[in-house]
Amino acid sequence: MMMNRRNFKDFDMMLIGITLLLFTIGILAVYSATIAKGLNFSESFVFKQINSLVIGLIILFITISVSYQRFIDLSYFIYIVNVLLLVLVLVLGQARLGAQRWFSIGGFAFQPSEFIKLSLILVLSNYVGNRKNSSWGFGSLIIPCIVLAIPFILVLLQPDLGTALLLVPVFFSILIVGGANLKHLGLMAITGLAALPVFWQILRDYQKQRLLVFINPNIDPLGAGYTIIQSKIAIGSGGLFGKGWQAGTQNRLNFLPERHTDFIFSVIGEEWGFVGALATTFLYFLIVKRAFTIANLTSDLYGKAIANGIGVLLAFQVVINISMTIGLMPVVGIPLPLISYGGTSLIATLTAIGLLVNVEMRRSTF
Amino acid sequence: MRERLVTVSVSILFVLACLGLFYVQILRYPYYSKLSQNNSIRIIPINGPRGNILDRNGKVLVTSRLSFDIVIVYNELRDKPRLINLLKDVVGMSGADIAKSLEKASSRAYAPFAIAEDIDKEKAIRFDEESLGLNGVTLETRSRRNYIYKNMGSHVFGYLSEITEDELEDLKDSGYRMRDLIGRSGLEKYYESYLKGTDGGTQIEVDSMGRQTRVLGVKEPICGKDLRLTVDLDLQSIADKLLGSHAGAIVAINPATGEVLALASHPSFDPNVFVRPNNSNERLRLLRDRKGRPMSNRAISGLYAPGSVFKIVTSSAALESGRVKNSSYFTCTGSYKFGRRSFNCWKEEGHGPQNIYSGLMNSCNVYFYNIGRLAGVDALESYAKLFGYGKLTGIDLPDEVKGLAPGRSWKKLYRKDSWYEGETLNYSIGQGYLMVTPIQVACMTAVIANKGMATKPFVVKQIGPSPVTHEGLRSVSLRAQTTDDIRRGMYEVVNNEFGTGKRAKAEGIVAAGKTGTAQNPQGRTHAWFTGFAPFDDPRICVVVFLEHGGKGGVEPAGIARQIFEEARRIGYL
Repeated sequence: MMMNRRNFKDFDMMLIGITLLLFTIGILAVYSATIAKGLNFSESFVFKQINSLVIGLIILFITISVSYQRFIDLSYFIYIVNVLLLVLVLVLGQARLGAQRWFSIGGFAFQPSEFIKLSLILVLSNYVGNRKNSSWGFGSLIIPCIVLAIPFILVLLQPDLGTALLLVPVFFSILIVGGANLKHLGLMAITGLAALPVFWQILRDYQKQRLLVFINPNIDPLGAGYTIIQSKIAIGSGGLFGKGWQAGTQNRLNFLPERHTDFIFSVIGEEWGFVGALATTFLYFLIVKRAFTIANLTSDLYGKAIANGIGVLLAFQVVINISMTIGLMPVVGIPLPLISYGGTSLIATLTAIGLLVNVEMRRSTF
Repeated sequence: MRERLVTVSVSILFVLACLGLFYVQILRYPYYSKLSQNNSIRIIPINGPRGNILDRNGKVLVTSRLSFDIVIVYNELRDKPRLINLLKDVVGMSGADIAKSLEKASSRAYAPFAIAEDIDKEKAIRFDEESLGLNGVTLETRSRRNYIYKNMGSHVFGYLSEITEDELEDLKDSGYRMRDLIGRSGLEKYYESYLKGTDGGTQIEVDSMGRQTRVLGVKEPICGKDLRLTVDLDLQSIADKLLGSHAGAIVAINPATGEVLALASHPSFDPNVFVRPNNSNERLRLLRDRKGRPMSNRAISGLYAPGSVFKIVTSSAALESGRVKNSSYFTCTGSYKFGRRSFNCWKEEGHGPQNIYSGLMNSCNVYFYNIGRLAGVDALESYAKLFGYGKLTGIDLPDEVKGLAPGRSWKKLYRKDSWYEGETLNYSIGQGYLMVTPIQVACMTAVIANKGMATKPFVVKQIGPSPVTHEGLRSVSLRAQTTDDIRRGMYEVVNNEFGTGKRAKAEGIVAAGKTGTAQNPQGRTHAWFTGFAPFDDPRICVVVFLEHGGKGGVEPAGIARQIFEEARRIGYL
């Protein structure tokens, strides 16, 4: 489908610009975090990340070129394929870091759980869009719950607690915007909380350990607590202006584990200080704000729900990731979008941005 | 407005995250900045000791003891000359050693480095007193492995050595740290995950002078699990003693259960050598000795021609085929004509007419050439495999090898040639391509001792408080008549005054057995004896193997007798 002139006019350069800016901040941080490994450029993390950016941008433009309504039409199909991939990854995924989250496709590690967030947004948007003028009873929550529960459990089994938990706010936000009865949703949330003890049983030992450590980091200062303590020292010692790029001692002295992936924000906080950390957070906020603005301006309920879901998804990823690096939340292992090293996460985020631009360009205005 | 609900909650989250950043980076900046500048979190590990290894009666064989190391963090040393003096005067290190160690430590200036390991307790206490106020230096206690009986049973226990960086990369998640020891062979390797303790530690905050200011947290160490073996200390110790300066192996198992009562291999090594840091020359000598191969467990990793002990298999194949009965006689004239070649019996003048009993008793080659040919190579191969040759016994020790039970298809595949009848003759007397381990010979003997039931050998019967379940006996479907005939032949070997294994006869113990004298390309013949006792209700199978040990009926049979006697002395038989 060709884009017409109005589409081009609405093409959101600002959104794409901020995205690329955040990516650049990420590349600088990844460079600083991994320079000590002394890899050749062609095998460096920076190089691989730039490769992923190129792929991600191509997918972003493909996402834009087809109307989001097509994605809505195909949403159940996309969702089912994605769920099957999650099953497959459980069965034959490679074990890395004690978790089975990856496929290896032609040397690329592919993580279906990164995409299930988007598939869930599409399928739920489809559902609420179809119910536009019908009333919401308790029964109408059954299908969304099943749609949430299947990937939630599969992702939890991987085990990827962070991603599983992310699905929950996305689920609620789409149903809220989609018009579900707020009392019913509230009741469901309470039921969910009551079921936490059951949920606790499914967790792996190390996940339980991480949650316990959050409550008291001194339980395990040598293991799980170590990362939190070191990360806090890194960020805290950054102060107002930071120690300067590549000058973070916590970073350079190898005190931070997983610092180019989930804990990349510690490197930013240490090297760029409060100013840099705040600026980065603000850039994310601009993207999220933009997503909500697009949702507000869109009269079509399908598009509104998609934009809203993406906004909530990005917001929670960012806030949870930052909070865990400063010890405000348990370490659940989710990457910082656009900044953490990792191909699938980057590509999935760019796809989400693409969907956002798509909705913005094709929304039916009032 | 529903959208507002979502937007406002999300905005609140962002504000909270920013407040968190403000708190950590602005309000708490002085605190974290100091921590980071001083790099001032220290973890003092508390070692989770490795599990002990006990014999079947609970006697301690391998344990851990406390030892002292002097550990430095190079970039925190303020007074190097004083440290050097202390190391010289108190510990007694040489100037050159100290210089070399400091050089090494400087390449990892931020990581703790053990500059002196396993020093005496008195020295440690004196050092601790005199090093007061010395920055960057700590005295660490560690538990070190102690193999109480030194060389005895070393191949069963195995040894430990420090984890390498590559391994650490893979094993970090399992709780391994730098300088941790990891099992390299034997039980230490096989049961590593059970034996290993989990380190605990105290995390402390120190000031810029290196003094502890407060304890941030404590994690209790967890001890590794104890292994209770099936091995009997007395039997193991006599087995090791009897091997003496021989190269070879002794295996004793309980045929009814598969319990390994003793498993010795010589030349052996003292695993303590790998524990002490200052024995690197001795370590290298052990690891590099290609000729004596002291690190190799000959009982499970040594491959040898079985020689005449294999006649047990030949007998089974022939008797089961129905072509040979216990009443079938073949006459030995001292040699066997095959085509233009002549295959000799070990007795030049010949044994005269032989049946299964006298054939086994005299270990008459000509008798076995005859019945081996009647059975045929395919039957020999399938019975060899039935008795466990050419595959792992599955004993719970690492590095077991499976050997080779050859046959037509093997020869076609690996030698690109067809099977020759002459090779069947060699096969019948346990020569040729056949390669077996002593533990396999023990398992073969157990089948006969058990009247047709195979057993799987094992060394560990209990891990921590929980018994290990083992698969029981497995029938190999031999006719009762077959095992009875072979048992009677083996009885004659030991109890008949002309039996080849009569030296295995012990006063008051009814034993049965088979000798073997295996030719090999390396030189003098290998000597085998395998036997079991008591005859009616076997509770022990003993295999004695001596590399280049001459005749099986001489030394090995004598050693087996002493093991039977020791088993009775300790009340086992």
